[in-house]
Amino acid sequence: MSLFSADPTLAPYLALILFGFLPSEIWRALAVVVARRIDEDSELFLFVRSVATVLLVGVVVKIVLLPSRELSVAPVWARGGALAVAAAAFFATRRSVFAAIVAGEAVVIFSVWWWAR
Amino acid sequence: MAEAPGFDWSWRWFLEGVRQALTGPAFYVSISLMGVGSLARAAGFPVGAAVLSTILVWAGPGQLLFFGAVIAKTAPPAIALAVSLSSVRLLPMCLSVLPMLREKRTPLSVLLAASHFIAVTVWAESLRRLPDIERPARLPFFFGLAATCMALTALSTALGYWLMGSLPAPLGAGMMMLSPIYFLATTARSARSGADWLAMLFGAVLAPVMVTFVGGGFDLPALALVGGGGAWFAGYLARRES
Repeated sequence: MSLFSADPTLAPYLALILFGFLPSEIWRALAVVVARRIDEDSELFLFVRSVATVLLVGVVVKIVLLPSRELSVAPVWARGGALAVAAAAFFATRRSVFAAIVAGEAVVIFSVWWWAR
Repeated sequence: MAEAPGFDWSWRWFLEGVRQALTGPAFYVSISLMGVGSLARAAGFPVGAAVLSTILVWAGPGQLLFFGAVIAKTAPPAIALAVSLSSVRLLPMCLSVLPMLREKRTPLSVLLAASHFIAVTVWAESLRRLPDIERPARLPFFFGLAATCMALTALSTALGYWLMGSLPAPLGAGMMMLSPIYFLATTARSARSGADWLAMLFGAVLAPVMVTFVGGGFDLPALALVGGGGAWFAGYLARRES
């Protein structure tokens, strides 16, 4: 893994601080420093909101399409099906996150068990 | 004015924050972030780094992006950019909670410490609970609530990490799907406008295209610009129409 090439024991922590911690913490620090209230309805914030939403969905799609070893035991139809059933449960229950998780998890767990029998 | 310290500290209110966290929010956030531990393991990180990601980043989507992008062999600068973009929402969250915590003499260092604990769960609980509490009691209450959420989640991140190796295959796959489903659902839950739904749709449709055609680990920034820009522009046009 290219991230860990320099020092195998410290590199993961360094990578976490440089590419995970600092890029997110900067916004919290900025909020403390910026005294005036920022308009949550400005075009810039709406743009950033869209970008952040697309990114999150994009990462979920990547995890599902290019699965890790643990997830690859679930066939692609089970992974996609879990998301579809989770979405159906979500809307059927007037946007319950809990229902989405239970329904989606049930599909993954059951289909991997079924597939491996 | 006689009061030298910048703020009052009440252990009673701190414990009240701990107690209220244990009535629900702390369990909710810790269970949902268990999958981050599993992701960290799949990305090849040690358990200490997984737990540290919860304590330092303390933003589920950012952690999901970070480990998910490492698994997908994304270039480090692109990872940092993606994490940062996903965390911009922390700015308005902090801006809406900090004025409730702040008193005239609250030191900057205390506000910085408080801001570190603000992420979606603590933010939502703060907006709900702080207005009913007298101002001097708010900071200890907040720290009690937030630290309990974080501590329990740090434990569950480690648990998710260790469980990953020893679970039967169906449960292991289930753990890996936990955070994708959770974050998709919370994003959909907080959707307020057509542009938000369009952004989710664009992400779902464009991501496979970008993964296929954009190499070098820069598919995420490309996706963000094209999809996010497109969703925002559609919303912009719709707002001008009305």
